[in-house]
Amino acid sequence: MTKVLEVKPAIVQSADVLTIKDLKAYYVNDLFGVRREVRAVDGISLTVRRNEVYGIAGESSSGKTSLIKTLAGAIRPPMRVVDGSVNFTFGNTKIDVYAEPEKMKTARWQNLSYIMQGSMSVLNPVRRIKHAFDDFAYRHMGLDRQAFRQRVQSHLQKLGLDPNVLEAFPHQLSGGMRQRVTIALATVCEPEFIIADEPTTALDVLVQQDVLGLLKEVQGRLGSSVVFVTHDMSVHAAITDRLAIMYAGRLAEEGPTQAMFDNPQHPYTAHLIASLPRIGDLSIRKSLAGKPPSLANPPSGCRFHPRCPIAVDRCSKEVPEMLPSAIGGRVACFRAGEVSVK
Amino acid sequence: MFKVLRDLLRYNREFLCGTLLVSIILGVVIASFFAPYDEMMTYAVIPDMPPGPEYWLGTNSRGQDMFWQLAASMRNTLMFGIVVALISRVIAIAVGLISGYVGGKTDQIIMAFNDTLGALPNIPILLLLVFVLRDQMTWPVLALTAALLGWTHDSRLIRSVAMSLRTREFTRHAAFSGMRTGQILLREHLPYVMPIVFFTTMNNLIWAIGLEVTLSILGFSDINRPTIGGMIYWANAHSAMVAGIWWWIAVPMVAVVMLFIGLFLLAMSVNEYIDPRSRLARMGA
Repeated sequence: MTKVLEVKPAIVQSADVLTIKDLKAYYVNDLFGVRREVRAVDGISLTVRRNEVYGIAGESSSGKTSLIKTLAGAIRPPMRVVDGSVNFTFGNTKIDVYAEPEKMKTARWQNLSYIMQGSMSVLNPVRRIKHAFDDFAYRHMGLDRQAFRQRVQSHLQKLGLDPNVLEAFPHQLSGGMRQRVTIALATVCEPEFIIADEPTTALDVLVQQDVLGLLKEVQGRLGSSVVFVTHDMSVHAAITDRLAIMYAGRLAEEGPTQAMFDNPQHPYTAHLIASLPRIGDLSIRKSLAGKPPSLANPPSGCRFHPRCPIAVDRCSKEVPEMLPSAIGGRVACFRAGEVSVK
Repeated sequence: MFKVLRDLLRYNREFLCGTLLVSIILGVVIASFFAPYDEMMTYAVIPDMPPGPEYWLGTNSRGQDMFWQLAASMRNTLMFGIVVALISRVIAIAVGLISGYVGGKTDQIIMAFNDTLGALPNIPILLLLVFVLRDQMTWPVLALTAALLGWTHDSRLIRSVAMSLRTREFTRHAAFSGMRTGQILLREHLPYVMPIVFFTTMNNLIWAIGLEVTLSILGFSDINRPTIGGMIYWANAHSAMVAGIWWWIAVPMVAVVMLFIGLFLLAMSVNEYIDPRSRLARMGA
């Protein structure tokens, strides 16, 4: 018995659900003959494994939302995928998001669901909650009405929601309940892959903890993968297994969350983590001078070099590649592991 | 449904007044099917009798009982209004939602057409058509023409809401979940614009009736077919005011004003009920 338990995670761990290769997605504006590119996603490669929570962190305007919109195939002009590929593996089917848009359409919601940013407003204010379930999930489940209703009710019960919320309008629910309903909506088809874009940002800390617990529980039960995006590092520390740090449209560092918090390799990661307040520590947190660069006109070389306290000449000339780091992840820095912020 | 109606009647005074006024008119319309004389017939009764126990609303100089005339006129006029309102609603909703949601070039082309049509004056066009078509201008043709002219304002109104809905999260969510454009428009956006549609339907009904009355008073319709405007046309033709037969003019005017006020009150109160937020506010939640 124990042997099975030991072997199974190994197989599960090795399977990659999502593979992104050198993805470039720009906002391209062509106004009055002047072409402007905003490089929101600029050459990102990453993989997300089965049954893990993968965090994406970064400042505002670092391209987090653009990245996940791109990987969900939910972009529209002026955003454009310029280069690279996004591949999903659901069971035995492989889907190349941008080469096979038709296949992707059927996979949505069934295999891949999306908890959107500002998910407070994801529910139509003039429709009852049950109609939201009908509209979004009914088609994908292949059940008759009666069975579908029962499935939805039992699903809500599992998430600790009273099935009576189905009869309610969104404005009759509290923020936390609405958030839970959206999570229920995104997980009712038991998808293998869930994208969560700042689902807890508008909630207070207690409700946030509740919602995170719920999401983690659902993820554990379904054995699905979650890509979790937020700028809140404490949320990442609480929920994610692996973490990627984005800076100016590129990945700065990626690795196991715990190891990264203990021993950040990239100077930017180090500063992000150092900015977190700790109980009992009364010293004022140092902030990094400057602000994130414009993505329309990013700095040469490593994009972090103008703000980096340990930058050398080379940083402004060459672009650092993502190379294996000392803590079992990857890092894009010529001086990886040399920084210490206390 | 029955409970909703009962509560509205009990707690919403506007709804009660509107229902009363409109049901009086509807009662008269239903009565028209039991008329003792043919509505087209003249000199069926003694002419120029004032309102009294025998002829409730008097009789006119053409020897018609005003009550049965009013009944038939109300039926025809209301029918005209409803047909115009329904046809123009379908166009306004379709154009507004599609133009607002699809946007871009499609929107520009549709709206250019919309604005051109909206800028054209209605009465001259209708008069021109009446002159050209003459005898072919039956009331269904007139209704269709009016409907084709009467949707432009409302489609713009609906479009403005649809444009805002397009950028909301729930629309993106719906699109992501794989709903087709038609489904999104019908199931997500249509309920949202329903209060506007309802209110504009009432407005459009009132506008259409007004248009019919205007054309008929001027004699640009089948004058033998009783309508509210037609009654006033005949009263003018017989110089009813000069002859002192005031009820000939007063009866259709009072009736049409009652209908207008009744429809307006109904529109207002039902509109408030359809929007869940104002409904709850009224309930004190």
